[in-house]
Amino acid sequence: MKWKVDIGGTLSPIGILGAFFEKPNTIAYPAVKKETARSYRGFHTNTLDDCIGCANCQDVCMNDAIDMIKVDKEYNPKNSSQCIPRIDYGRCCWCSLCTDVCPPSSLKLEEEYLGITKYATDFLYMPKNK
Amino acid sequence: MANRHITIFHGPQHPGITGNMSIELDLLGETILKATTHVGYLHRGFEKLIERRTVIQAFTIVCRICVPEPDPNEVNFAMAVEELAGIEVSQRAKYIRVMMLELSRLAAQFLWMAGQSGSIGLYAVGQWAIADRDLILDLFEELTGGRVYHMYVYPGGVRRDLPEGFLGRVEKVLEHLKTRLKLYDDIFIYNASFRQRAEGVGVIDAEEAVKNGYVGQVLRACGIEADVRKDAPYLVYDELEFDIPTEQAGDVYARALVRRAEMDQSIRILEQVIEKMPEGEIMAKLPTHRKFKLPKDDTWVKVESARGEFAYYMAGDGSENIRRMQVRGPSLVHAYTLLENLLVGAELSDVALIMNSLGICPPEIER
Repeated sequence: MKWKVDIGGTLSPIGILGAFFEKPNTIAYPAVKKETARSYRGFHTNTLDDCIGCANCQDVCMNDAIDMIKVDKEYNPKNSSQCIPRIDYGRCCWCSLCTDVCPPSSLKLEEEYLGITKYATDFLYMPKNK
Repeated sequence: MANRHITIFHGPQHPGITGNMSIELDLLGETILKATTHVGYLHRGFEKLIERRTVIQAFTIVCRICVPEPDPNEVNFAMAVEELAGIEVSQRAKYIRVMMLELSRLAAQFLWMAGQSGSIGLYAVGQWAIADRDLILDLFEELTGGRVYHMYVYPGGVRRDLPEGFLGRVEKVLEHLKTRLKLYDDIFIYNASFRQRAEGVGVIDAEEAVKNGYVGQVLRACGIEADVRKDAPYLVYDELEFDIPTEQAGDVYARALVRRAEMDQSIRILEQVIEKMPEGEIMAKLPTHRKFKLPKDDTWVKVESARGEFAYYMAGDGSENIRRMQVRGPSLVHAYTLLENLLVGAELSDVALIMNSLGICPPEIER
């Protein structure tokens, strides 16, 4: 390849130096945290007062990430199966179809998405009662 | 010392493309004598997985077929199901889909810019392009809840309506990107170090391009005005004004110019979408429990992705499952028929440059 003289093309990238006088695009995480969008797909929450234990969420989940677990706390008297969903975050792909098909809209996704644990069993996540 | 004849593997991890694909190169010194494409590093079996799932379950997989640009997959899947199931989509949902497609096209072009500049060592451009792409991903996050895989375009419409003031925020991002694109022209497109590396490299003949079924920028950079959005308009593209940029040279630089001009056209389309966005429903009436039943019939739908024509074949058998779905992206023909021939005679240092300009995405080949 022969290098041809191209003065315009050689000088045009000099504009990049202007970036020295601009604010950086990055943020100083974790001191500054980026606000998550309200619609973000984070952890599941389940309002136990509303959940009817219908297992629609389990039925629609293509990854078999949802098990219906016998509930041991106060629950909705209309919950005839007395079961509530538990999510396996080793399998979940956060498609949120489970929340779409929830008849009482008790199953939702919250904005919180950071989870750190030492134990693999913690991947079996019981949605917070909200 | 005389040049020796050696064989090396370029890949499967390399700067040329997004995804894993390998090219076996026979070299004489720096010059390529023979190139053979090897795939198989990224097979996830989408087409087979989809056959075992119901329509609603298959909907969440299709976006994963292409990481840089998942939305054409979602739109294709939705359009195919709607055509088979006879569902009419509202005008608002169509406009929102076009907005998604164009935003995704812009995001994909920024990612291309990052890859193309990175392939010749202009890393500052790549970092800037990724940062600007993030502004579009922020919009996706607000609208769909996901930054990369949106799972938003649903058979029958779209999943969520636009949040309050969303179109204003899209407009603001577009204004910002317009000023940034001028800067990219200076530091990348008209930069002598890119221009002189890209001109005359990877030249494709127009006749050969048509004969072999090349699509997208590869075709348009040879002077052929072909674009699914104009040739077979889908959604509301026939109501929007835009041009199809073309170039004549057919080399890497011509393809870069076409891509750069398409970014302006995408912004033009988005501005019209913002202006014309109609009110109304976003979702058609769906079957009970969203159990779509596809009749014994088949269909072929296609959209224009950021890399060219992207098509789906879908067949139903009267049950809840999809009998067969085939994905036909632009990468298959570009990675085999085109790349193997194009690399013969090229320099080793130009491999990443050429691959990136063809817009090859291996997951599409091994779907």
